[in-house]
Amino acid sequence: MSADVNVVAASEPGCHIFNDFGCGFEAPGPSLFFPEPWVDFGLAGTYGLSKYILLLAVALLIAAGFWFFTTRKAKVVPSRGQSMAEMLVEFLRGQVTRNAIGKEGDRYLPLMVALFLFIFCMNIMGLIPGLQLPVTSHLAFPAVLAIFVFVLWNVIGIRRHGVGGHFKARLVPGGVPGWILPIVVPIEALSNFVIRPATHMIRLFATMFAGHLLLALFAAAGFYMFNPTSPMGPLFGAISVGYSGIALLGFLVFTLFELFIMAVQAYVFVLLSSIYIGEALEGAH
Amino acid sequence: MRENRDGGDTRVSNANGTTLVSYLLGGMAFWGGIGWVADRALGFSALFLPVGLIVGFAGAVYLIYAQHVRS
Repeated sequence: MSADVNVVAASEPGCHIFNDFGCGFEAPGPSLFFPEPWVDFGLAGTYGLSKYILLLAVALLIAAGFWFFTTRKAKVVPSRGQSMAEMLVEFLRGQVTRNAIGKEGDRYLPLMVALFLFIFCMNIMGLIPGLQLPVTSHLAFPAVLAIFVFVLWNVIGIRRHGVGGHFKARLVPGGVPGWILPIVVPIEALSNFVIRPATHMIRLFATMFAGHLLLALFAAAGFYMFNPTSPMGPLFGAISVGYSGIALLGFLVFTLFELFIMAVQAYVFVLLSSIYIGEALEGAH
Repeated sequence: MRENRDGGDTRVSNANGTTLVSYLLGGMAFWGGIGWVADRALGFSALFLPVGLIVGFAGAVYLIYAQHVRS
């Protein structure tokens, strides 16, 4: 394939493989994650009302609607919807809060269930046709959730152990000789108070960002490579359809994979939140 | 010790990957940063930076050992 036939910007009509319009494939980039705001308030540091805010509201409605419709007529013998809600709560209680916090974790179960479902709903916005943008692919949203968990971690630790007890437990590792403390205390401080909350938010953001970019790439490639009426002849037209089919198959496979990742990342977020809260309750190592 | 859902005792280690990685990153970032500042202040090109990185790495490995292996 010579350079002059490998042409086209996927965004321009007519720009397809095996054409000769002088335009090449334009891979989707980070601009996907900066939709034009519909209403811009003109305030410094703000982004206005954009697609993200709409999707956030939709995600919130789905999460709230799930609980409303599954539990509004709760019975001892559950309906199908109520069973689903109960399974979710049971799963998170067994796998997350009881494992990471213990029986006391039941107090934090409503928070973890709400966080899990809200994050999962924000994530699946990336798969809903027409919307197709995971809310958590913008760092601001995971950041708010991770900072909330970080503040909660401190509040729980301080309420349980007092200011001194909480910060001593988080800064001074137990069983370490005094002369090593000047080396390891700054490491504990940076690790617990900066890097851990940062990685908590970045893990969710980066997986959603990368997953969405990958899906967009497959979709753009499928569109770019679909050119059955190529001016280079029917053989190249057929080859282009084959290429496009491979890209679209990849799109479907990765969409299913992405759905799995969306659930796993919501689970990992609440699991880490539970581990941090359990640690704050426990105090010193 | 904590109790699991069946009432039995299970110990869930806090040694998750995030904690270990944040120790390693934190160690090298803090002590490497101190070394970098010392290099700048004292006019060296790269003397204290590698020393700081090694001290930070060693401190982090020691912390991981003391917190999650020895205990």
